[in-house]
Amino acid sequence: METAMSELQILSQYIRDETGYEGELAADLDLLEKHILDSFNIVQWAMFIQAEFQIELEAEELVRDNLSSLSRVMALIDSKRAAAAKPN
Amino acid sequence: MLARLVSPFQEFGLFAGAIYCVDRILQRLSPRLRLQFYELLEQPIPEEPLLPPRFAGSFELREIRAGAPELARMPARPEIKSSRFRQNAICLAAFQKDEFVGHIWFCFRAYQEDEVRCTFLLPDAKHSAFDFDLYLFPEHRMGLGFVAIWNAANEFLRDRGVRCSYSRLTRFNLPSRRAHLRLGARCIGRMFVLQLAKLECTLATLPPYVHVSCGERDRTQLKLRASRSVPESPRGSLAGQQAG
Repeated sequence: METAMSELQILSQYIRDETGYEGELAADLDLLEKHILDSFNIVQWAMFIQAEFQIELEAEELVRDNLSSLSRVMALIDSKRAAAAKPN
Repeated sequence: MLARLVSPFQEFGLFAGAIYCVDRILQRLSPRLRLQFYELLEQPIPEEPLLPPRFAGSFELREIRAGAPELARMPARPEIKSSRFRQNAICLAAFQKDEFVGHIWFCFRAYQEDEVRCTFLLPDAKHSAFDFDLYLFPEHRMGLGFVAIWNAANEFLRDRGVRCSYSRLTRFNLPSRRAHLRLGARCIGRMFVLQLAKLECTLATLPPYVHVSCGERDRTQLKLRASRSVPESPRGSLAGQQAG
């Protein structure tokens, strides 16, 4: 029986598919420092995240602090969802 | 020790690694001795944007003129910046919410290099430019800054009818090399410059191929050649069809 991929797995799979990276992808691994992602991947990655997780990212949010690891991206997604769920 | 010796060859390949080692040895002997290895690149200016408008919109590109306060924050030496303005170079600076993100410089017709005595002559004055000194402040690296600067610069160049931008890169700056290749650049020539104090010996794969300069006024005039395969309207890349 197929099980749904976790959100972390979805992000990991995207990185593997896009970059061909085959090593271990720990949630805290610095993807930028390890040159797994670069400035160009970030644009495509941001668009993938928007489409896959139904959130809208702002250009100011696409910075190292938010994108350097899978755990940071998950934190960004969670914060965007929390902000969207808040009543105006 | 062995790892240090082998690492340049692993990183740059056998030939470039050997050049790198010779350069390092020369630098150890004297700061006035160098062996430079440059690649000459041709980069098409795409018709389509590199960034979706929603991301691109947060950046603004402004032309920086001589005397502007932003110049003081640019890492190049003041006399270098002055010499660029004297040769009619254009400096474009990117800002995000009024914060200075980085800059890029362009020359048209010709570019007088400041690291070695060489003037690069562009193949098609109307449709080509020479880009140099793209710089991003550290806090903006690994974000959208680099792509945003090129996105805005491409728009600026397209509006001027430029189809290709040329540049020279040191063969050993691998991140910059990767970035240019990702933007569609291709290598159209190579150039080696042996600097022995005031003497500079240039060997290039483009005319005039060989030049020896003994003083500041004697510069190599290197004629860049357009590759025949440059498309009339190069396609865009990163944002692709998802841009919107």
